[in-house]
Order: sequence, then C-alpha cells, then structure tokens
Amino acid sequence: MLIFVQRLGRLVFVFFVVTFVTFFLLDQAPGDPAERFAGLNATPEVIEGIRAELGLNGSLIERYLRWLGNAVRFDFGDSIVTRGFSSWDLIRESLPKTLELMVFAEIMAIGIAVPLALASARRPGSFIDKASSSTAFGLLALPAFVLGIYMSFIFGVKLGWFPTIVDNLPGLNDDPLDNLRQMFLPSLTLALNLVAVYLRLLRSDLIETLQEDYVMLAQARGLSERRIMWRHVLRPSSLNFTTAVGLNIAGLIGGAFIIEVLFAINGMGRLVIQSVILEDFNVVAAVVAILTVAYVMMNFLVDVLYSILDPRIRHAAR
Amino acid sequence: MMFVSTRRHTLAILVSGALVAAACSGSDSADSPNATEAPATAAEAEPDEAPDDSEPADTEPAATDPNEPAPLEDEDQLTSSGEGNVDLASLEPVAGGEITFGLTNDGTGFDTTGAVAPGSIRVITALNDSLVGLDADANWQPNLAESLTPNDDFTSWTITMRPGLLFHDGEPVDGEAVRANLQAFKDSPTVGFAMAQIDSITAVDELSVRLDLSAPWAALPYGLVGQPGWMVSPSTIGTNETFTGTGPFILESWTPGDGARVVRNPNYWRADEGLPYLDAINFKFLVDVTVKRQAFEAGDVQGYVSPDDEDILDFLDDDETDVWIGTAGANEYLWLLNTAAAPFDDLRVRQAMAHAIDKQFIIDAFRSGLTIPANGPLNPSDRWYTENNYPQFDPAAAQALVDEYEAEFGPIEFELSIEPNASVIEVAEVMMSFLTDVGIDGKIKEIGQGQSALTAILDDFQAFSWFQFGSPDPDGDYVFFHSSGGFLNWTNLVSADIDAGLDAGRQNVDEAGRKAGYAQFLQALGDEVPMIWVDHLNGVEAAVTLPELHGIGTPGILPDGSASLPMTNGSFFAWSGVWIEQ
Repeated sequence: MLIFVQRLGRLVFVFFVVTFVTFFLLDQAPGDPAERFAGLNATPEVIEGIRAELGLNGSLIERYLRWLGNAVRFDFGDSIVTRGFSSWDLIRESLPKTLELMVFAEIMAIGIAVPLALASARRPGSFIDKASSSTAFGLLALPAFVLGIYMSFIFGVKLGWFPTIVDNLPGLNDDPLDNLRQMFLPSLTLALNLVAVYLRLLRSDLIETLQEDYVMLAQARGLSERRIMWRHVLRPSSLNFTTAVGLNIAGLIGGAFIIEVLFAINGMGRLVIQSVILEDFNVVAAVVAILTVAYVMMNFLVDVLYSILDPRIRHAAR
Repeated sequence: MMFVSTRRHTLAILVSGALVAAACSGSDSADSPNATEAPATAAEAEPDEAPDDSEPADTEPAATDPNEPAPLEDEDQLTSSGEGNVDLASLEPVAGGEITFGLTNDGTGFDTTGAVAPGSIRVITALNDSLVGLDADANWQPNLAESLTPNDDFTSWTITMRPGLLFHDGEPVDGEAVRANLQAFKDSPTVGFAMAQIDSITAVDELSVRLDLSAPWAALPYGLVGQPGWMVSPSTIGTNETFTGTGPFILESWTPGDGARVVRNPNYWRADEGLPYLDAINFKFLVDVTVKRQAFEAGDVQGYVSPDDEDILDFLDDDETDVWIGTAGANEYLWLLNTAAAPFDDLRVRQAMAHAIDKQFIIDAFRSGLTIPANGPLNPSDRWYTENNYPQFDPAAAQALVDEYEAEFGPIEFELSIEPNASVIEVAEVMMSFLTDVGIDGKIKEIGQGQSALTAILDDFQAFSWFQFGSPDPDGDYVFFHSSGGFLNWTNLVSADIDAGLDAGRQNVDEAGRKAGYAQFLQALGDEVPMIWVDHLNGVEAAVTLPELHGIGTPGILPDGSASLPMTNGSFFAWSGVWIEQ
C-alpha cells in the first residue's frame, strides 16, 4: 500500500513538473496567441478581450494554476487554430485511433516476437535463429517511412488487398471488418519495427535463463520442453521485455507520427506536430498533460508487473 | 517536392483571410471618381434603369458542355491527353456515385467572417454558391444573386436575390439574410477592411440589398465572387465548426486534421438541372505527396490537388491520368522589399537586385521548368496583363547600379526574413548567391513558423520571402499595393502611378479603361521594383484525376447557361458539375 502511495505521489510530482515546464516553454515562444486569434486587422481592444477570454492575463504562475484547475476537469481550453473545437474535442477524436493502432501493433509485435524468440533461444544457431536474427536486424535498419511506403505499395497499390489510407474509419463495433482492413497495414508496419527490438531482447534473456540450475532440474525431472519454456523460462525472462513493451506503449500513446502521416491517420502524433507547427498552444499543453499521465501510469503498471513476474522483487520491496 | 511548402500553409492560415478578402479589397480612399464619364459600355453592369438585365453586355454565353475541356488559352495551361482522347460528345453526365478527393492543406474552420484557410476553402466550394460567379473569360456573372445593379456613378449597388432560395437548414436566402452576412463581414476586425469602401448595407425589400459606397467602385461584383459573397444561414454567421450555406452539398461531418464529408443537397436550387451529380464527396487531407500518389494509384482517392511539379510531369505522360493546371489564380513567389528603410529605400538597389537574379535558372532548377517567370502579380495569360519594364537578368547592369550606390553609401547588406521551410530556403539561398555575385551581401533570417503576416504588418523586415496574389481580378489585390492599404501595403511604397492605375481599374467599368489602368499599375510596379518577382506558381492549383472523373478542369455552368471558369482556375469552383462514370 505504501509503495502504491509512493508511486502515486511520484506520478503527481512528475505531472506537475512536466506540465509546468511545458507551460513555461510555450509561454516563451514568440508571438502572441491573442493577436493570432484576433487576426490581421484587430484593434487593441479586441485583442485585449480575446486575451481575457483565453485566460492569457496574469502572471505565469497564476495562469498555470488556472490552467491546472481547469485541466483536472478535462477543460484544456479551446483550440486557437480550429475555433469552435476544444482541445479535448481534438484529443478525443485522435486518441482512439492512436490507441487502436498502438494496441494492434503491440499485439502483432508480441504475437510474432515471442514465439520466434522462444524458437531461437531453444536452438541457438539454428536456421530459425539465424533467419529471425537476420530479419530482425534488417527490420531494425529499415526506417518506418521506408517500410511503410513499401508495405503500402505492395499490399495497397500492387495487390490491392488493403487500402493505402485510413479514411472514414468505422468504429470497431460498427464495422469490425472494414476497421481491421483499414488498420492492418499501419499496425503491421509499426509492429515490424517493434518485433526486431522485442525479439532480440527476449531471445538473449531466454538464453540466459536457460542456463539456470532450476531449468536443468526441470529437464532432469523429465518435464516437456514446451512446458519448461512457457512455464519456467519465459516468465522470469520477461522483465526487460516487459519494460520495453511498457515504454513503447507509453511512447506510442503520443502517436506514431510517421506511420500516421504515411497512412493518413488522424492520430495523436499528427495532432501534436500540427499543433506545434501552427502554434496551437492550448492543444499542445493538453496533449502534453495527457501524455505525461499516460507515460507515468504505464511505468507504474510496468513496476506492478515486475512484482508479478518475479516475486523476489515484491518481497524485496517489503 | 519543390515548391509545396509548409511555410505557405502556415502563412496562408494567417493571411488567407486577407487573400480571400482581397477578392473584394477596398479602401477608405475617397478619390474623385473618374468612371462616371465612361459608364458601362463594354462591362458588366447596367444602371438602375435596367435592373433585371445585368449580365455582361459584351459577353456571349459560352458553350455549356460540361465535358468540354478547359480552353487552352496558351501553352502554359497544360492538360494530359487522357480526357482529350475521349469522345466527349458521347459522354452524358451520370448522376450518383461518391468520390474521395485529396487535399494538401488542412482546414481550420468555416467562419465566413474570419480568416479562412485554403483547406477550408476547398470544402466550402462544395457547400456554397457565391453571390457572383466568373464566366470562362473571368467576367463576373450573377450567380446566387439574380442581379447586381449599380447606380449611375457606381457609388451604390443593389443586389437582388433569386426568389425561393433556401439555406441548408431551410431558412430563406432573402434580402435580410444577405444584409446580415455582408454586414458581419464588413464588421469583422479580421477581414472587414476589404469592405471599407462600403458605407452602409440596407435591406430594401424582401429580396434586395443596397450597398452605398464612399467612392465609385465599378469592380465591386468581382469582390463578391470570393469570401464576402459566401452566404450562410444568419443564425450560423460567425460559426467556425460548420457551414450552413446554399450550395450543392451539405456538410455531413468535418474532423479537423482528417477531412470532411459532404452529401448531396436534395433541395439544391439548381436541382432541376440535375445538379449536383455526385451523391457525396469525401475530402481527405493528405499531407505527403507520396501518400497522395500511392492512394491515387491504388484507387483510394479519385483525384487530388497536387502542388508537386515532379508529380505533375510524371502524370502528364500518363494517358491513364488527367492533369489540370490552371494559370489564373496561381500565386506568385517573390521577395517583398521594405521601401521605407535602407537599403531598399533606394531605387538603384531594388533595380540591381532584380537585374542580378536569373529567374529562369530557378524555374529550371527548382520547378522542373513548369512555372512562368514573373514580372508582376498578373500572369501573362491574364486578360489584364501587359508587359512592363521590370528589370531582367543582366549582371553587368546590376553591378553598375551596385557600384554607383556603394560609392555613395557603402556596402549593401540586408536580411531576408523567411519561415523555416527547407525547400523555400534552398531557393532563397540560390537567389542570395546571384546577389553575392554582384556584391550585394544578404543573410537569411529565419522567423517563427506562421509569423510572416505579423512580421510584415509590423514592418519588422528588410526583405521577405513571400507567396501571394493571383486574384482572379486585379482589383482583388488592390489593398496590397495601393498607398491607402496601410499596413497591408506590404512594401510601404507610395506611388501616385500605382494608386492611379489601381483606382482606374477599380472605378472604370469599360474594359479598355480598366486595362489602361492596370497597364499603368504594372508599368509603375516594374519601374519602382518594390518586389523581386520570381515566378507564377501555376502548378499550385493543379488537379490530378482519374479519366473517369469529369468536371474538374472543365467549365461549370452558370445559372444563365454560360460556362464558368474551370475549377482549377481562380476561386469559382463548380463541384456541382463534377460527375464520375459508373
């Protein structure tokens, strides 16, 4: 319980630090959002009115506290560029697509990487090990934008199996087939880059675990190889792998900008980059706040997972 | 990708209101009229005595076949042979179908009283009919309005609406609705400057509105082709997230950063003509050129706006694809020179800059030869275009002018303000190298993304890398050159000849008088060199389409049966006439 409270306290602290630093940096950016909002020909009175409306009056601390008070109610202010939409409206539109992309990509990546890593670790130097290692290095060396263009060209343009862009994406509940068809290529492109990392990490940890005495004992007791690998080797070998998955999930909540551009997905990555370019600071601050919470929460969950995967960590903490 | 630029995108978001509004730019100038002695003889309007006969007197209705390709006015207007190979006579427009059309720029909303981004304008063209349209010769024609009638001296115009028109929400498009829209535009702190010359707007009866002006304005209807002429339901004026207009399509959804979907308006006022043909259009914002092209080749989009020269060149050789490139309405790339400060307050320096830069080299190296060298804001294919004496590439002449200036004032040094866009900076650096060759020392000063308009307004620059102009009628660019334009007179040049020329173009109703005015304007612009012109970016408005998709790049049909300006030319877009083979 104490650990939970400590972690929660750390989460709140990180949230304050990150959001304040972001707020400070945005405040230092050139240009006056009120002038931008008002347009070219606005009078000083109009600009002043807009400044008050946008909550731009007062000291930095006052404005930050005002923003924070609103943020806890998910009121991040209106978008300066896309008037009529709140920052939260825009995030609510983008976040589900990014989450879906992230979940599909992780499922694909884990689904490919874990069996390959087990097969490779079981027979190091075998054909499967060599082939999967070579492929993994190849995928690592291939940037996402190159991989994405090739995937789109082969499976979209040449074979026509999947659309090259995500357009009018239906909800998973409304039309799961069309949804999955549209999200397949971007998810796979993202997943292939992740597979390489997961495969290498897990393979080396599995090989190390296979040298442990208790594994030899299990073999001596005549347990099947499959049972040993899945029940006694995989779990303790998963700490680094879990860390990587956790960090990747947290990172991907911020969007996979390149994948989103390549497949025209209106996700968090595109939203944050566009907002930075167009100096839509309310949206930038809102996205940073959401990402901070997501990142810290993911790290917290990974910590919890550690103690489940390896009871020694749980006991040590006590 | 050569001249597509995020700089232009962000600049456009800031200044698009000015650019769009420029279509009806006005001023507070109350110069004495010179048009009243030459009332409408060869131009568009009849005085009060003939209120129902306001069509251009000198324009024969053009062919109305929507399949007819855009007229090739000169060799610079290109089209692939795809559509040209089709037996046009055998093609009858087919109703129905749905297309996805790729757009380069994202929209930022639909508030007709504010700055509207280019991406939004593309969508609005499907949702809207302007009060005034442009025919194939770019003459104004009544469109949503039934007539526009001036008084004898063009200090008052009466706009009369067609009876029975409805907005998408079922509200009537009556005189009061038009008054409310025009008044809201005029009152807008962002774009209202374009209507500064209008003193009052009065609904005179159920269908008519009278505009009383502070000075004669014969070219006023041209201004109502663009944003000031967009009518939305009065209860939604100033609303940014939706557009309740009068056009052939109704906005079904708009997702910022993603796209918009519009569906057929079943109560369209021209439904008895079978318009619109399509059931729905999905506008999809596709930022990346490769993505757009792959989506097109995969059949995921049926057409897209392409600002990429290599893309256009590739498809021009492809019989399976149509490419439509308009010449009118294209922006220019140029450098603004702040003539109010040294060293550009000296004409010799400005002339030397113009002499030093080889425009054709830039066009060949960076635009694949697709664009046309510019000597001013008007494209050579524009009917108001006349040649001027803008200094041409002549390094020796440039050197002589530099030597003369430097003997008097010392070395010439300046900073070029530019937004951080690699492809534009690349061009600017080459231009700088030409200047270095003649002893002019320029440095690039990057400013914040999206800060161009503000920086220019505050005069916080010496030279400025800039994209603008290309209004379908030169009166649209009035405020950016006329001394009464205030902070929108970007270069701060005050020239009696430029003012007189622009005023003549605005106030004269006969074509000869207007042409003489704009000739004077262009000549003065060439003599004074307040801008370093590079090229007319014709490719910016190019559309790449499947051969089965018709009506893009071909003339639409105006209510009187005459052909409208093709879709890729100017600001009058005719989505109602677009159809796809089933």
